[in-house]
Amino acid sequence: MPSKLSRRTFLRGAGIGAAGMALAACAPAAAPAPAEPAAPVADAPAAEAPAADAPASATTNMVFSSYTWSGYEAAMRDVIAGWNTDHPDVEVEQQYIAEDYWTKIQTQLAGGTPPDVGIADYARVVPYASSGVLLDITELIARDSFPLDDMFPAAVAQYRWAKGDFDSGGDGGNMYGLPSDAQSYIIAYNKTMFDEAGVAYPTDDWTWDDLVEMGKKITKPDENKWGMQYIDPTVFTKGNFLFSADGSNYTPDFKKSMVDSPESVAAWKWNWDLIYTHKIAPPPGAQASTNPFMSGQVAMVVDGVWWISDFASITDFEWDVALYPKHPDTGKRTTSLESDGWWAYKSTQDAEMAWSLLQYLSNQEGQTRFGDLGYVIPSCFPAVGERWYTQKPPENRLKVLDNITQESHKVDLTYYEFWTCWAAYSPSLGVAFSDGADIEAACAEAAQIHTEELTAAWERFQA
Amino acid sequence: MTQDSGSLKQRRRYEERIAWLFITPVVLGILIFQIYPTIFSLYASFTTWNLITPPRWVGLENYVSLFTTDRFFIKSMWNTIRYTLGVVLPSMAISLFFASLLNQNIRFKHGYRAIYFVPVVAPTVALALLWGWLYEPNFGIINATLATVGIKGPSWLGTTTWALRSVIIMAIWAGIGFQIVIFLAGLQGISQEYYEAAAIDGANAWQKFAKITMPLLSPVTFFVLVTGVIGTFQDFSLVWVLTRGGPAGATQLIVMYLYGLAFQLQKMGRASAVAYAVFVVVVGLTIMNFILSKRWVFYEESN
Repeated sequence: MPSKLSRRTFLRGAGIGAAGMALAACAPAAAPAPAEPAAPVADAPAAEAPAADAPASATTNMVFSSYTWSGYEAAMRDVIAGWNTDHPDVEVEQQYIAEDYWTKIQTQLAGGTPPDVGIADYARVVPYASSGVLLDITELIARDSFPLDDMFPAAVAQYRWAKGDFDSGGDGGNMYGLPSDAQSYIIAYNKTMFDEAGVAYPTDDWTWDDLVEMGKKITKPDENKWGMQYIDPTVFTKGNFLFSADGSNYTPDFKKSMVDSPESVAAWKWNWDLIYTHKIAPPPGAQASTNPFMSGQVAMVVDGVWWISDFASITDFEWDVALYPKHPDTGKRTTSLESDGWWAYKSTQDAEMAWSLLQYLSNQEGQTRFGDLGYVIPSCFPAVGERWYTQKPPENRLKVLDNITQESHKVDLTYYEFWTCWAAYSPSLGVAFSDGADIEAACAEAAQIHTEELTAAWERFQA
Repeated sequence: MTQDSGSLKQRRRYEERIAWLFITPVVLGILIFQIYPTIFSLYASFTTWNLITPPRWVGLENYVSLFTTDRFFIKSMWNTIRYTLGVVLPSMAISLFFASLLNQNIRFKHGYRAIYFVPVVAPTVALALLWGWLYEPNFGIINATLATVGIKGPSWLGTTTWALRSVIIMAIWAGIGFQIVIFLAGLQGISQEYYEAAAIDGANAWQKFAKITMPLLSPVTFFVLVTGVIGTFQDFSLVWVLTRGGPAGATQLIVMYLYGLAFQLQKMGRASAVAYAVFVVVVGLTIMNFILSKRWVFYEESN
């Protein structure tokens, strides 16, 4: 149900270009590895490194790699140039890859030529660390007293993994990367629509029930005005709202699905009820390229914090963000936190140098620099992030930080082969949302498939 | 290579070498970027390979699992077959109809031809987004039009009942421009003498169409059918942009499934097995087409 594209889902989905290809030949994409779009080594660092008076001969070479999207590469080159001021003798070959990034990285790994340092994916910590391709930086962190404790714990947990664990974040694990940001989820609301319906804005104590009541007053199907966009199942499963209801996705030992636990089912049903019982959410199937909140179609939406920069361009109405509503029984309002980051590959020739760059990218200076360049993704240092959270619009942006500080949980898709499991069981839930099929039966079916997939994933994990 | 030493044989050998020299870049390109990956993916289809750790030989397991444990292979294949049937046959009929019209001496016929060809040259993503708007359940033009006559249109792309039908309609629209051009060329290749002779014999328009146009056009029809089936079976981008295979996998075509396995889940072995399964099906359909063609395709010179 891709009602909107986040940067990540876009990256996962990108690659349309590879479409009308000769079929059989396309599958492994192994051969074209050498044909990597040659990274333009020449321009940025050499030009911007202020050490023009020093001998310009580069003595060390390091490969840095990242996926990229509009404007990002320029910002990234600027940050690396910042690191280069202290390391004028290192030439960083920067590879920016726009599409199918992880396939390319894994092709490089298969060919034995991964980069030294690259952008990290919290959902790949377990498979990569357990395959032994990542540099274990635990001791380097301790030696140099990297301020890990100043970061959001949920962000750090995503890069910690203990040998044998099915998921990251376990106690006593080792560190295989550093988070660079802390992206949470928000609930935004259209103040103008609230005003027009004569509904008071959400307070800090509002509950799921309040949300539904407000939505009912705002909804006018004939005018295509709706109270709330139902929460995308992927976003929901990450832990937003689901955890507040004491729902869960699996048992703590990851052996069995919990999608059909009474708490989980109740939470899923609440989300489903928005469309089919209370009818305060527009039926699914709306045009994927439009955000129903931005078009003034729905008064409330739950989505990634990165949408704030898009929402900032709204001129047709007033809007703001609120704390998540509390679950009426548990009183919880848990938001999920997910963190991109940086890691080094074990095959690096110069672990010290890789660690130095890694530190710079993730420390407060690097992250401040990132923020100043307009890459707004809030930092995983609350202190740095505050520079972003105190900006406006919206008026109450700081509430996002409050919600994270009060109750945030590591995004729940970091366990081994999550995406394989999700691909298998999400259609069962998807049918319930798209066609209105019974949600309880959907949860039961999803749980059965999920358990089977978990069993298969365990077999592969232990193979 | 002086004049006097140049016997005919030597000269031939020389020219042959030059010829090889010229085609070498292309041959190398095909060998390295097509033949080698094709063979390698056959090997990969017998392994389990996530690109992180080396491929591990598993024999036929990938192929067996497609028909046993795999939840999506059969479904995606079935979706693809429905999609292919739904697109190819109607679009051929529609194309032939419009090609026949455009073959008449009507005013602005060149303008019409250009208009029908527009979807072929327009970017796929733009077409998909356009149709996304048409299908919009609340204020899309289709449902808005239906509403004026009191019909409440469905959520075209949002429900599993309608999604595949909706993308089929879009694909027909996107594909007819190309087929019209092919049919038009075929129609214009039919000699007017046949029609004149038929007219003298008193044949009416339908008789001319059924007894002259259809048989003489049959090689072109056959070409459109074969390329249509192969192309449609491998469709990806148009539907992908519109639905990403959703809702709940209702529009997931086999190539999307392959793409997801390979590039989203990094299951290269399984993806290669799917690729070869598709290859077998496409080759099978094509062979079947050729066999059936003996019954209905008429080549002018062979008779």
